[in-house]
Amino acid sequence: MSGLKQKGIAIYRWLDSRLGLAGPVIEAAEHPIPKSSASWWYVFGSAATVILMMQIVTGVLLALVYTPTARDAWNSLNFLNHGLTLGWFLRALHGWGSDFMVAIVLIHMTQVFMFGAYKFPRELTWILGVFLLLMTFGMAFTGQVLRFDQDAYWGIGIGASIMARVPFVGSKLVHLLLGGPIIGATTVSRFFALHVFVIPGILLAFVGLHVWMVLRLGINEWPMPGRLVRRSTYIQEYEAEIHKDGVPFVPDAGWTDAMFAAAIILAIMACAALFGPIGPTGPPDPTIIQTVPKPDVPFLWIYALLALLPPKLETPILLIVPVVVICVMLALPFFAGEGEKHWSRRPIAVLMVLVIAVSLGTLTVVSLNPPWSPEMTAWSADPVQPRFLRGRTPLERQGAIVFQEKQCRNCHALAGLGGKRGPDLASVATRLTEDELVRQVLQGGGNMPAYGSALSPAQTTALVAFLGTLNGNERPARDPSLELTHSNAAQKQQKF
Amino acid sequence: MKTPAKILAAVLLSASVGCNHLPGKPGLRPETQRPDQTHDFATLYKTNCSACHGDNGKNGPALPLNNPVYLAWAGHDAIQGIVSNGVPHRLMPAFGPGAGGLLTAEQVEDIVNGMMKNWGKKDVLNGQNVPAYNPGSAGDPTQGQAVFQRNCASCHGADGKGVAGGPPHVTGSIVDPSYLALISSRGLRDIIVAGIPEQKMPDWRGDASGKPMTDREVTDVVAWLVSQRTPHPGTMVTPADKRKNQAAIAPVQSRGGR
Ligand code: HEC
Ligand code: HEC
Ligand code: HEC
Repeated sequence: MSGLKQKGIAIYRWLDSRLGLAGPVIEAAEHPIPKSSASWWYVFGSAATVILMMQIVTGVLLALVYTPTARDAWNSLNFLNHGLTLGWFLRALHGWGSDFMVAIVLIHMTQVFMFGAYKFPRELTWILGVFLLLMTFGMAFTGQVLRFDQDAYWGIGIGASIMARVPFVGSKLVHLLLGGPIIGATTVSRFFALHVFVIPGILLAFVGLHVWMVLRLGINEWPMPGRLVRRSTYIQEYEAEIHKDGVPFVPDAGWTDAMFAAAIILAIMACAALFGPIGPTGPPDPTIIQTVPKPDVPFLWIYALLALLPPKLETPILLIVPVVVICVMLALPFFAGEGEKHWSRRPIAVLMVLVIAVSLGTLTVVSLNPPWSPEMTAWSADPVQPRFLRGRTPLERQGAIVFQEKQCRNCHALAGLGGKRGPDLASVATRLTEDELVRQVLQGGGNMPAYGSALSPAQTTALVAFLGTLNGNERPARDPSLELTHSNAAQKQQKF
Repeated sequence: MKTPAKILAAVLLSASVGCNHLPGKPGLRPETQRPDQTHDFATLYKTNCSACHGDNGKNGPALPLNNPVYLAWAGHDAIQGIVSNGVPHRLMPAFGPGAGGLLTAEQVEDIVNGMMKNWGKKDVLNGQNVPAYNPGSAGDPTQGQAVFQRNCASCHGADGKGVAGGPPHVTGSIVDPSYLALISSRGLRDIIVAGIPEQKMPDWRGDASGKPMTDREVTDVVAWLVSQRTPHPGTMVTPADKRKNQAAIAPVQSRGGR
């Protein structure tokens, strides 16, 4: 045994005398950090790096099977899911890893912002961080495209349509990205190159620089209210603090990083095992119209935003806001490079983070169950519940069929079942009189199309008779004028 | 092997076996197929037909398909024709590829076969004297009225406008011009011969007269119902109603039918 050990040490010595890496690595590991920073708040950056490593490993394994062509990409993922032992788990790890990566990077960025760590002398670290964030989104987006299912198709479509709005060069950009004017045979290989070579290459280089600077400039100290950053004195103060009660990164702070990274990896594995791989949804075929494609979680908020923005504002907002936001983030350390670091003295910063987090969160939640998109199959797939038919006249039952056949159900649920674009009509008769129902159906209004020319008078009569029965167990709304002119049901029948 | 190594090996082994039963493992789900490659009857029926014909072919607003008498009487070919081409100018849409439907010919076949297999009973009609599927003549409305009095009036009222009294009495009118405009003569014949079992509308055998209806009687009663169609069903009848109708439609037209 001891002979083996001796041999091991000899090999290590041989290598290190040539490489000379052990010294710097050990030095980096043991570099002193402020005692206050050996905290659970400082673990997100290293966790993101660890997830990145995991993504590289799983990504390489996926690339062994994945076929980056428009014809076979979708099939090769289905082969991974169903044809290879644990192939699905590999996909699930990579997919969930991506979602976790985006989340952790965002949290890391928020933490850095709230702790004022972007201030002097760490401006460049922050700026690289902004690029790393953008590249993380880039990886998430290109990865979603490589799945090449219906959602991916949607994603590229939207991405291309945003790009196409750029003045002058829009169509050229689209051409460059898609390898043609439309999504075609070369699109997947372009995105494959981006996802596997271009972005990861830059990403790794930037991560290296980013970490290098963290080591070189030292980890941000725990902010204290009233302790201001000044360019002239900060470095001496920091050195003094480290000198006074600095601790070595390993083991004093390193163990929190290691624990957290391990917990995150376990969480990714758990999600992968429990929820499985993300997609592929249906095959990418624009002729399949019975779907409502949706982007992956990190981009859901854009989906919601696009759906909710009035069409006139779309182009300016899509083109101007991202540029402004990125510029502000890049410029941040220059106009706020000095002064308070503590959040309690930076109300505007706190407010900004809250507003952004709440709006992104709301948009994401809204888009999980998008109320604005009609449910394309409701007209033929959602039964009219028997309780809305019991004891109804033949005419009213025909009205229920008209309701389905004219696809009203795609926008209007009955007692929760059906599309959610318009109001649920289960108790519409308590809100509207017959005249108002006729008007709404014939003229439309709000976001509802006018059906005046699409319905025969007989269909309108039946439809309104049916809607008039939807009183949710309450009594129908009464039109007082009707009460005066018509007194019995037989006359009412003839009204239309 | 030392004990820890043994434990480790055991854990790894059971983990690798257990992995094939993890909840995240994707099954062969329908959404991973093209919609036109679904051939499962339950899925096809649910997504394409259940809205109008009801869950499991019953209790929907349109005619029940889960009706052995109907299935045996109409037969595979007639039903396949209806599903492929719809009922023209009526509310039954076409599903076949030739008529602009979203299903393939094989899928239509799957649905028809599925209905026959799951809901049909081959020999319900054996030894019975069933009226023909297609009417042999136009029918005589006057005769039909008499048939209606004998066979139908007890539940539908003497004029077909319904009677009070709860099931099986029917409250609503089956001679309302709008109703008659929306249902085809084919559909009326189907109801009268095959009935609506879950609603206690009897088939051709169980009518009030006590003896099964003949082919002739069915044809005549349909003719009587159809004779009550009007040229402009569902349009307003009184001058006041007409004005109201104009008021409701005029803004639509002036806005170019937005
Ligand atoms: C494209 C989606 C869409 C379709 C299809 C649609 N509607 Fe609407 N409908 C709406 C929206 C949105 C509203 C709310 C209008 C508003 O804001 O004033 C609405 C409102 C209504 C209302 C008033 C509800 C209330 O509580 O005030 C009725 C009744 C109605 N629709 C009936 C129908 C009928 C009947 C059909 C089929 C002929 C139909 N709708 C088809 C979107 C739709
Ligand atoms: C939009 C509502 C609607 C949908 C969806 C629909 N049907 Fe129908 N169907 C009708 C109506 C209404 C009729 C009666 C037409 C008539 O004769 O007036 C009908 C009639 C039929 C008939 C003839 C039944 C009889 O007793 O006369 C068959 C068979 C049928 N449908 C099968 C189907 C199948 C199979 C599907 C699904 C692929 C389907 N329908 C989907 C509305 C619908
Ligand atoms: C035992 C009572 C009974 C008798 C007899 C009867 N029916 Fe019915 N009928 C019903 C019931 C119950 C319904 C279902 C109620 C409904 O659909 O509104 C119905 C429904 C119908 C419908 C379809 C209504 C719809 O919703 O589309 C027609 C058409 C019809 N009957 C015609 C006839 C004719 C014609 C006869 C005589 C040959 C007849 N019925 C005999 C009870 C009866």
